[in-house]
Amino acid sequence: MNEKDQYKNRIALLQGTLDMLILQTLQWGPQHGYGIVQALHLRSGVVLQVKTGSLYPALHRLERQSWVQSEWKQSESKQKARYCRITAKGKSSWPRTWADGSGLSKRLGR
Amino acid sequence: MKWFPSFGFQRRKRELQEEIDAHLQMAIADRVARGETAETARQAAEREFGNIPLVQDVTRDMWGQAWLEQLGRDVRYALRQLRKSPGFTITATAMLAVAICANSTVFSWIDGTMLRPIPGARDTGDLVSLQRGERNFSPTPPLSYLDYRDLREQNHTFAGILAYHNDWIALTGGAQPERVYIANVSANYFDVLGIKPVLGRFFLSDEESLAIPNVVLGYSLWKTRYAKDPAIVGKSIEVARHPVTVIGVAPEGFVGAAPGLRDDLWVTLDPLGTDVWRMTHRDSDWLIVIGRLRPGVSRGQAAQDLDTVMHHIVVAYPDQHLGDNRITLDPMWRSPFGANGYMAATLPILLAFAGVVLLLTSANVATLTLVRFVSRRRELAIRQSLGANRIQLVRQMMLEGAVLSIVAGVVALVLTSWTSKTFAWFFPANSIPLALNGTMDHRVVIGIAVFSLLAGMLCGALPAWRSSHAPALEVLKAESASISGGSRNRKLLNGLVVAQIALSLPLLICSGLFLQTLRNLAAANPGFEQDHVLTASVGLNIAGYSNDEAQLIRHKILDRTSALPGVEVASLTDWIPMTLIQKRNDAYPEGYVPHPPESLLVENAEVGPRYFESLHIPILEGREFTLNDDEKAPRVLVVDQTAARRFWPGQDPLGKGLKVWGRLFTVVGVARNSTHTFVNESPEPMVYMSYFQHPGYETMVQVRTAGNPVDLEPVMENTIHEIDTRLPVFDVRPMRESTQMASTFAVIQSTLAGMFALIGLVLAITGIYGVVSYRTQMRTHEIGVRMALGASRVDVLRLVLLQGLWLTGIGLALGLAFALGLTRIIVRLLYGIGANDPITVVSVVMLLGAMSLAACYLPAHRAMRRNPVTAIREL
Repeated sequence: MNEKDQYKNRIALLQGTLDMLILQTLQWGPQHGYGIVQALHLRSGVVLQVKTGSLYPALHRLERQSWVQSEWKQSESKQKARYCRITAKGKSSWPRTWADGSGLSKRLGR
Repeated sequence: MKWFPSFGFQRRKRELQEEIDAHLQMAIADRVARGETAETARQAAEREFGNIPLVQDVTRDMWGQAWLEQLGRDVRYALRQLRKSPGFTITATAMLAVAICANSTVFSWIDGTMLRPIPGARDTGDLVSLQRGERNFSPTPPLSYLDYRDLREQNHTFAGILAYHNDWIALTGGAQPERVYIANVSANYFDVLGIKPVLGRFFLSDEESLAIPNVVLGYSLWKTRYAKDPAIVGKSIEVARHPVTVIGVAPEGFVGAAPGLRDDLWVTLDPLGTDVWRMTHRDSDWLIVIGRLRPGVSRGQAAQDLDTVMHHIVVAYPDQHLGDNRITLDPMWRSPFGANGYMAATLPILLAFAGVVLLLTSANVATLTLVRFVSRRRELAIRQSLGANRIQLVRQMMLEGAVLSIVAGVVALVLTSWTSKTFAWFFPANSIPLALNGTMDHRVVIGIAVFSLLAGMLCGALPAWRSSHAPALEVLKAESASISGGSRNRKLLNGLVVAQIALSLPLLICSGLFLQTLRNLAAANPGFEQDHVLTASVGLNIAGYSNDEAQLIRHKILDRTSALPGVEVASLTDWIPMTLIQKRNDAYPEGYVPHPPESLLVENAEVGPRYFESLHIPILEGREFTLNDDEKAPRVLVVDQTAARRFWPGQDPLGKGLKVWGRLFTVVGVARNSTHTFVNESPEPMVYMSYFQHPGYETMVQVRTAGNPVDLEPVMENTIHEIDTRLPVFDVRPMRESTQMASTFAVIQSTLAGMFALIGLVLAITGIYGVVSYRTQMRTHEIGVRMALGASRVDVLRLVLLQGLWLTGIGLALGLAFALGLTRIIVRLLYGIGANDPITVVSVVMLLGAMSLAACYLPAHRAMRRNPVTAIREL
């Protein structure tokens, strides 16, 4: 199995977890990719085991599932970035993913 | 090159890049704000992010559309690779295009003739053609009118049965008299075939046997002679000097129910009331019959049903049904009435040949592809190490094969649209109104697509399968000597070359056999002298002359043409041998009681005085006809040897009586056997009657000329016209030209088989040359070492030659085995030569062997002349 396959497998394992983390973060309002990473670092107090770039496949998948919507806006630092916000459909899926990620909830301080 | 489906894809790719860039910018900015230097910040941010291309790749996979973009990329890559080796690309595409074109051309001929026996008719698969009596390759019409009507009304298995009879007739009205091919048809003719008129109507059932002069025009006649007059319905035209009324026009493309023949117009069975005899007599067999089976009924059931009805008829009218009365049915695609009987004997075999050529070509292209692939192993190994997986590589190789075959298919499509029409070229000008040609319809196009796909799969699959077994690391490390393919690739290449030789050997042998057959046919003695003979047809019967008028004219024609300078002998006949036309009638010796179901049909012809002399056919006993053998004299007959032996074995036939049409004729002469239709036919008895005693339906003048018959053509026409300017004269040509019809199919077979065999030969030789030359090149290093160690040049030569000859030997052996099977199929088509003729086989084997030797020798020679020092240095 080459590197890409291993990478993909890891993504699958973390699928539910990452999705949940992202959605939880977006509950607080629309955010771009870097912002989500910062929020996760702040809130969980844990250095995530995966590279920050691995957020993006998850984010795009969420968008394809219509749990998340995106638009390009200017950030505070005048940087053009793609902001994602949770949709109603994403909100209704929230309790489900919450149930799957109970182990991680402790780490998020809930 | 942007493709439409990936417009959105390209945009999203760009956006993702921007998104990632933005992320990194923000990360860097934050780090810088915390006090890091710009460079450290950038490096840290990128490290923290991870493998950017990998992230992009995985993210793109999430979009779910990856395969289309991937396909586009693969195709572009394939095109680039093919462009890089133009020699290979052009050669492979050209070879595939030729092979696919060969297959689709023969298939288009089959489609145009056998698979569309009656263009314009509905569901021709349900139609069957009827034969009565002993089965014959070219039978005469089976039924009389009253018998046909009984069969039609008393059967239980048919939805409809039609009958027709073909003839020539002259359209006499108007400025230019024209000879057209007419069909007398039953009233349900168009209905059973499922044809609707484009103007007016067709015949009604009560018009069938009444003498109502109505006529239906064919579309092309309506177009050419009547300028598509929209008010033609109801108008009166003149046929054979009689007025008839046009009641309708048939749709475009419909040319009648006889496969391969073209009808120009249709009338009822007895439109002028002049044929009462054949409408009322059960022994006058003049109708050809086609039936449409009821749904769910098989041909066997229907034949039995008709047989039963026929049996009742024979019991009720025994005298009019002497001989064999069994009914047999044939599907239209091989109906013996019309051209399909001949087509079915020839075309499928040619398709098989073309199929072999396609296999050969695919093997050849696969060889080329494999050779090319082996030299690209380094590149593929690098791709693999960069992360391409096996599936991608396999897909890549198959795509290259697919692109080649698609392009070849398109080229073949264009070529076939031209070559499908060349079928008509094979048929010389003759007196039969042939409408034979290939068609390019959707079936042929689908056929081309299938052939291309097959070829592409064969060519692409092999290297694709190979590539998936290549372990990248080894390939990258290894030296070129072992990259030359490992033992598996070598075996594959060897196998391909052996296959090519094995496939081309039977093609060559069959082609040799066909050519020899053609030569034998051309050189065979038909039993009469065809050079220096000129024939001309005079349309007395079709132009409406009365019997007495006609006889007078005939005498005049004979007198005047005999007197022409350059004419040695002039005679009349109603039949020309070897033109695929024959007449048969029941005949049996006087005093003989016929036992059905024995067949009594005998070929016959009406000939004038000095007929046999004009053709140099010796009269072995007795005499020829003279002018005295006319209506008032006792009925006389000349028989040929086969007839004499059949009717009076061991006795002298002179003076014996023969009953033909129930009338007694006395034998006055025995002529030597001559060819009737094909030189390789089995002898059938033939009897000749005196023309002036019983005038034939056709009037043909036959003269023996001192010089070239072509020179006398205009004189002949003028002489006849002088007698009566309204006489239609046509088909004025030397006899050689007319008899060429008989060898048409032999010509078709040899031409095509020869072409295919030539292609096969070229392919096999280039195949073996390519492989030997490639392998030798790969072994350059090894050869250099050998020579340095003391091998002489001759040793090197022997090394390379043996390798090639070994392959050739195996290929020849396999090919011989294959050939033994294949030639058995074509045995029926051969003449004067056996299927396993040793001379042909030996010469072909020697030819192929010699050319292989030459093909191996060239690279061997090159290898021999290399400087061993440079050879060793090469890696």
